[in-house]
Amino acid sequence: MIFGLIESFNDTPLLLFLLILGLGFAGGGIPPMRERARRRTIENELPSFLEALSDSVGAGRGLQEAMMEQSTANDGPLAKLLGETLKESHASSFEASLASFAAKSRSSQVQRVMVLLETAIQQDSSLRDILSDLSMDYERLNDLMNRRESELQGRGILIILFVSVGLPVLIAFIVGLFAPASQGYQITAFNNTFALFFAAASAIGVGVSGRMMGRLKDVLWWLPMWMALSMGLYLGAVKLVGG
Amino acid sequence: MRLLDEKRELLYVIRTFDVLMSSGVGLEAAIHTIGQGGYGIISEDFAGLMKRLRKGSGGGLDKQLKHLMKSAESPGYKRLLNTLYTNVTQNTDLVETLKKQGTRMEEERSEAVEKYIEELGGVPETLLSIGMIGPIILSIIGLVPQLMSGDLGSFMSLPDPAVISGVVNMGLIMTLVAMFFIGLKAHTKDPGL
Repeated sequence: MIFGLIESFNDTPLLLFLLILGLGFAGGGIPPMRERARRRTIENELPSFLEALSDSVGAGRGLQEAMMEQSTANDGPLAKLLGETLKESHASSFEASLASFAAKSRSSQVQRVMVLLETAIQQDSSLRDILSDLSMDYERLNDLMNRRESELQGRGILIILFVSVGLPVLIAFIVGLFAPASQGYQITAFNNTFALFFAAASAIGVGVSGRMMGRLKDVLWWLPMWMALSMGLYLGAVKLVGG
Repeated sequence: MRLLDEKRELLYVIRTFDVLMSSGVGLEAAIHTIGQGGYGIISEDFAGLMKRLRKGSGGGLDKQLKHLMKSAESPGYKRLLNTLYTNVTQNTDLVETLKKQGTRMEEERSEAVEKYIEELGGVPETLLSIGMIGPIILSIIGLVPQLMSGDLGSFMSLPDPAVISGVVNMGLIMTLVAMFFIGLKAHTKDPGL
């Protein structure tokens, strides 16, 4: 029965094409998700790290020494990455190691902080005040980012589930029950039209959901998979219910 | 797009100006530092400004800032450029003004995020209403020629199946367009975090 069902999709080459594309793109979609999780962990650790640096610098330590201390005293990706970078950069200057750390973090927040610190070092500014201000700035920014994500995540998932899964299955049941192909109803053209519609609606739903959470580019990798799922669910359910 | 970029970078630009100028760097040197990169569209603007200044075309820093104010889209960026312009022409306390602007920008950003979350609260419901009710009605309309083909067809005359198919196709396209425009709100109202 399963093979029969899969065989019946041979009439819809777009679905098969999207399925293959979706499987391939899924490989590209996982690394951005993992990378994002790592980057957000680093960014969430940044305010407390800056605050600790501010305290150490205020107590008379040099910035490099304070960074060394914090990298050994804390665990977590930020301290680990900083520790590794500082160890690797014994042969180069401190500024070079800061730039290397910023690049390795792949976080715009860390990169901005490092550029500002570098400028402050060059200009002989009060590092304690700058670090303290930056710590408060980024704490507030991260709070906002986390709030946006937590509040909009549920709504984003709701859109995807209803548009990509709920709607195709619901309409497939209506079509399958009232106009089953097993009783001679000619609904091939109708099914093709609606399958295309569900693919497009699914693409819009997934895009909107991704944009709401501020991760449209990451979500685009999964677009063919959701489009294929939506089409497949509709055509599969119509065949299962209507024969 | 420019508006969003300006909003996203502005607070960091203000903070950098604050750090640079508090430690005694001049306005032109601070603009040059920011123009070297790292602040998106604002870096591009400042790099262009410095390039024109070096060439000596289009007057001094005050005129260049005035020129930049015309291309700025966000109110915050316009305000910053106006502050810099006033400082050039009237020698105001720039550091103090930048600190106040930074605090104000941060408050505005928090309010914008709250407003964004509130406004997007209705998007899923609207999107699902249009995206689900439309296709359900259209699917029933699309099935009418099939369902009314037997004895039921003699009770009432139906339009040509091609006409019904055209109506359904048009309806589905309209539904997609409506869904797209409802979803576009998520992009256009983005607070630029």
